[in-house]
Amino acid sequence: MRKETREYKFDWMLWNTFASAARLKSGTDKEFRTMLKYIPYFKGIVEVVLGTGEPGQKFIEICAQYMENLTFAKERGKKTAITTFCFSPSIFYAMDIVPVCLEVISVMMTFAYKRGTAEFLDYCNEAGFTETSCSSQRGTIGAYLAGIGTDVDMFVTDTPGVCDTNANAFSFAAAYLDKPFFQLDMPPDLTGTRSNEYHREDFKALIRFLEAQTGKKLDPERLKENLRELARQDEIIAELEDLARIVPSPVPVSYNMMVYASRFLFAGMPECTGVLESMRKVARENAAKNISGLSGGVEKLRAFFCYIDHYAQNMQFWQMLEGNGICYQGNILSHYWSPNAPYVADYHKEEVAYNIDMTDMDSLIDSLGMINSRMPMIKSIRGPYDAPNMWLEDTLALAKMYSADLIVYNGTPGCRNTWGMVKLLARDTEKAGYPTYIMYADAFDARVQSWEATEERFMEFLKVRRLV
Amino acid sequence: MMKEFFEAATALNNKFVTRWKLNGKKVVGYTCSYVPDEIFHAAGILPFRIRGFGAMDTTIGDTYFGPFICSLPKCMLQLAGEGKFNFLDGAIITPGCDSMRRLDECWRKAGKDIEGAIPPFFFHYGVPHKYSDYTVKWMTEETRRLIAAVEEHFSVKITDDDLTKAIKVYNHSRMLLDRFEALRTLDAPPFSGEDALAVILAGTTMPREEYNKLLEQFIADAEKTSGIRDRVRLMLVGSANDDVELVRVMEGGKAIVVADNLCFGSRFYSDQVDEEGDPVLALSRRYLGHNDCPRMYGDYRRRLEILTQKVAKAKIEGVILQNIRFCDLHGSENGLFERDMEARGIPCMRLEREYGPLVETGRMKMRVDAFIERIQQRRAVA
Repeated sequence: MRKETREYKFDWMLWNTFASAARLKSGTDKEFRTMLKYIPYFKGIVEVVLGTGEPGQKFIEICAQYMENLTFAKERGKKTAITTFCFSPSIFYAMDIVPVCLEVISVMMTFAYKRGTAEFLDYCNEAGFTETSCSSQRGTIGAYLAGIGTDVDMFVTDTPGVCDTNANAFSFAAAYLDKPFFQLDMPPDLTGTRSNEYHREDFKALIRFLEAQTGKKLDPERLKENLRELARQDEIIAELEDLARIVPSPVPVSYNMMVYASRFLFAGMPECTGVLESMRKVARENAAKNISGLSGGVEKLRAFFCYIDHYAQNMQFWQMLEGNGICYQGNILSHYWSPNAPYVADYHKEEVAYNIDMTDMDSLIDSLGMINSRMPMIKSIRGPYDAPNMWLEDTLALAKMYSADLIVYNGTPGCRNTWGMVKLLARDTEKAGYPTYIMYADAFDARVQSWEATEERFMEFLKVRRLV
Repeated sequence: MMKEFFEAATALNNKFVTRWKLNGKKVVGYTCSYVPDEIFHAAGILPFRIRGFGAMDTTIGDTYFGPFICSLPKCMLQLAGEGKFNFLDGAIITPGCDSMRRLDECWRKAGKDIEGAIPPFFFHYGVPHKYSDYTVKWMTEETRRLIAAVEEHFSVKITDDDLTKAIKVYNHSRMLLDRFEALRTLDAPPFSGEDALAVILAGTTMPREEYNKLLEQFIADAEKTSGIRDRVRLMLVGSANDDVELVRVMEGGKAIVVADNLCFGSRFYSDQVDEEGDPVLALSRRYLGHNDCPRMYGDYRRRLEILTQKVAKAKIEGVILQNIRFCDLHGSENGLFERDMEARGIPCMRLEREYGPLVETGRMKMRVDAFIERIQQRRAVA
């Protein structure tokens, strides 16, 4: 790692970067344009995100807010917990713990810095962590291993039983830094008495762990407040998903990323609701005018990404879709299985949806357990890909619901779990009539495959399959 | 006798399996050391640890698995596709790790494409990733589910008495293996690490009663044998290794592997199963709680202490921390072991390798030799 990189706390740097970006539009347009010259790399995301108007502005603001919360957690007397994107942070907010979501912070860095997270990825290897592990966690955890982040108090993950490389990153870092560790373990079945009971007992153990770490009891009223806000967010997300079914889709391409990122950062908090409401407003207006959310205004193709997006580097992935008139119909990350989600009703998956029940503490814990066990990835890749309610069923249902013309898989080479079954999945989705493209890039590390090569291969697929 | 152990350790359909099948009895394979053999023994079925040993390429494995996957399950699938596991009447897949658990789907799909590639009984055995009262409860229920499935498919009845008898047979085996390990760690061990691995591996591929008899005889003979001296004492740790040749390469003429911490090694036989009370609960407790694999997240400190104790007991001079490429669980834990054990003055070497034919022998040998030289220099200074 370069000496300069160690000069400042990385999270403090990132907070400053996003806090400055959030203020860029506060001046005149001329001032804004002038400022862009001084941020030649970061301007790529600033232009795209702020170009979406109020939703983009609010999104950058909550990113800055998240980093501020983390940067000043200790000064404000709060505990910090390193956690993962597929862990609903509601319980942390209810217990006044500052969550530190590794994957979202990795994306912030790949968006903001030309070097992305390369130095932190590499530092993990220096510390003894395998280079073949998932880059989504390595990108940020390397900074903490190097001791250039805010002090962390604990590690909490819910990926054992779902994703080895994710769970292992937390387990490794907790051991390396000698910090407390807790895992929510996921059985291979989503539903049924055994799984429900397991989720419940596991979540109770988590609460005991968090209470021991913070020295505070869980306040049910704060938790209820968070869950009520979460339910409001669910309603907005459900409406956005419904709107995305209209042809042409009135939902701009970058909204999906802003939906899931906001949710990962501030589930059940007003910060997330604000971003969602502003996106819904624009999408409703577009729908009323029957116009496409694509900047070019013409929807040529509808693509469903069955796993994750491509974050390295900048926002070139979304720009590529925009530039080619490809309407982006979401990915695995933006589906939470709330009872009002359109795919729940359309495909009669009511038994799979979670319910928020605030009758008493036990029902609250059951609700949290259900929400968590239905988080993106946690729900759909815990069991065999072709089992009920798992990856294949979800992918085909969502592709059909969104009238997708093609399905795309993108992940990281570290994703042992999906690479173990993606060829089988693609075979089945092809049989179902969806041209399916497997991207071999690394979503978080452009050194594995340059963006130019990634884009060229993607376009080649569209041409070969006569989709364009 | 070593010949018999080597045959059982280096041939898939070995003579013990052939004889078993000729008697009209069934064989069920499993992929991970978290599966209790005792269940199959109690049902009169031979439990057989599935391996990838002998695969010469992975063309079939690569057809179903993606590229960034450990070569061990790919080799297993390769052998299945080539018909090398046609003697199996069943297979149990566990979520030992992500690569291994996806063997479930890949094997099932290969079974549709290649006639006879998949055994008629195929079962996914869900094993938790931590040890607590409710995870033991899950494991116990899962074990009962497995028992019920075996009973139904093979038309057998597995009673608690049958299980208790099987537990006793396997506990006897574990006791013998403890004696075997005590010999292995003597100042002058009576057998090499290569021989030791063959003895241990044989236990996973042959009927347990026969194995116990052979093992008793082996131990009795070994106790009378003069030992091997003046070799650098190594310990082998990390990813699954069922290849005696790998140990031979590492030992050369200069070193001896006197201890291990492998799932095909001491992790597999350490600790007895409680012979009192509910046998299913006892099996679940033992297999979930005493199987020190990094898949059990958050338990590193305990595993480090176990390893450190083994190092002291066996007077280890150097630890080889190996992992198969893409085995992040062992690869990462090896990184922690290296840091912490080197800090305690124990020389360590990390080695990443591919599973399968020893295509990297030269590179590996050169690194191990350099490591041995480092230890010899340390000896000279001392």
